[in-house]
Amino acid sequence: MASHGLDYDGCNFFRQRLVLSTLSGKRVKIRNIRSKDDNPGLRDFEASFIRLLDKVTNGSRIEINQTGAVLFYQPGLLYGGSIEHDCNLQRSIGYYLEALLMLAPFMKNPLKATLRGITNDPTDPTVDRLKSTVLPLMKKFGIEGEGFDLKVMKRGMAPGGGGEVVFTCPVRKTIRPVQLTDSGKIKRIRGVAYSVRVSPQMGNRIVESARGVLNQFIPDIYIHTDHMKGANSGKSPGFGLTLVAETLEGCFLSAEMSSTPQGQGDPVLPEDLGRNCAKLLLEEVYRGGCVDSSNQSLALLLMTLGQQDVSKLLLGPLSPYTIEFLRHIRDFFQIMFKIEVRKPLEDERKGGDKVLMTCVGVGYSNLNKSLK
Amino acid sequence: RKLEEEKDVTGAVAELPVFADSEDDLEMSEEEGDAGRAADSGHCSEEDEDEEESADEEMDDDDDDDDDDLSKEEEEGALRWKDRLQQKASEAFLRQQEAMPNLRKLVYGSEEEDGEDVDEELGGLFRVNRPQKSRRFQANALDCSHFNPDSSHNWDLEEMLDSIKDCFVTGKWEEDQD
Repeated sequence: MASHGLDYDGCNFFRQRLVLSTLSGKRVKIRNIRSKDDNPGLRDFEASFIRLLDKVTNGSRIEINQTGAVLFYQPGLLYGGSIEHDCNLQRSIGYYLEALLMLAPFMKNPLKATLRGITNDPTDPTVDRLKSTVLPLMKKFGIEGEGFDLKVMKRGMAPGGGGEVVFTCPVRKTIRPVQLTDSGKIKRIRGVAYSVRVSPQMGNRIVESARGVLNQFIPDIYIHTDHMKGANSGKSPGFGLTLVAETLEGCFLSAEMSSTPQGQGDPVLPEDLGRNCAKLLLEEVYRGGCVDSSNQSLALLLMTLGQQDVSKLLLGPLSPYTIEFLRHIRDFFQIMFKIEVRKPLEDERKGGDKVLMTCVGVGYSNLNKSLK
Repeated sequence: RKLEEEKDVTGAVAELPVFADSEDDLEMSEEEGDAGRAADSGHCSEEDEDEEESADEEMDDDDDDDDDDLSKEEEEGALRWKDRLQQKASEAFLRQQEAMPNLRKLVYGSEEEDGEDVDEELGGLFRVNRPQKSRRFQANALDCSHFNPDSSHNWDLEEMLDSIKDCFVTGKWEEDQD
């Protein structure tokens, strides 16, 4: 099996497969990519993702057939270094960054990636959300130090884009196992209400309505408004809100909402957006756990790759994406998690069911990293 | 008629606490009591019971004498089926809640179950193309990590807001923490 690599069907979970293939060194073949579609084969954003993968690795072999419906990928070594990439505008930078975050600690050289494109759109996690939740999460796994940062240089809303972020990450030889079984109580809520190419007043209107919902729970709320102008404001107008709840144990739960891209669907009022985003945060709090729903897969990956020791992590309900990720982890690393349901007690008012994930890491060691 | 029935019922209720004169009476009253208890769903109020009884009587009056017993049985069967419906439902719900969903099986369950592609060939030339219905996921759906919120949660309701109160530092604390 291993010598022949792994076979998959369809373009769903495209990033998971390629990322896990790169980390495990196993070849992967994906067939039937939109084979029954009117317009079969890989889309531009997927091609752009492959190009990004090619930039951070050395010696990868990628073969795509003529229709683009079959992809063969033989991973090379993760090289890292300084790269620049123009992300395709069909998906936002978050799409590319999610995968890059999984790969970055295992490079040969520390990564400095400059990504250009859409920073905020409604489909993918925005760079603001990744910045405020993923970085603290990765620090728990021992990935930290100087030059671990995600900077938003320019903001670019969908569909025009024009944004730019710089992501820098140090390399690690091994990943520290974690024991995160208690998320602690939420002590404060922070947020960013951003607006570009619209009235700066939009930000204030969003903040006002979001506070209205959240103030009944906790007084410590600070949502700052971020209005970028001129060359830093990208090519399309838009606004949005990212909310992050921080617990006493240093866990972060986040929710976000962006305005609908110009010319696609009904426009939203900033008041509605603020209120709905606040409700999304409440939903996230209800789900609970030590990691919010969009970062579950990253946390589970780092647990899998940890030293040969037991890692425990309390999560909210598993998202469909995470469930598929667990199956892929089994395919690539032969690791199966122990999954226990934690029911809330009778008189507890702490939201819904939680899931305790336990595994023993594979003891992954970063052979790419040069010895100094 | 209605007045009469009501009088009857109230009469029966009033009679109950009184000691019976003979054994026959005692038996009668016991039987009556049993029937009453069986019909009682434990949730419905006294008024409902009365209504049921009156309906019972009405049916009896309408029916012929021959199939009287049968219809009564049927009626009772129907009633028994309806009995404690709410209680049964709540019990079933609790049982389901108690039975821990085997997540491991859900996640890592055998992949074989979703069907071998049995492509039926028509005349050795055409193939019947069936939509992938039993797949666990859409093979060509959008690759996105977004987790849609549970639409049954209405965060305008007080009880929903109440259900997460203790997640915040302002909520109730456990004994051992401070």
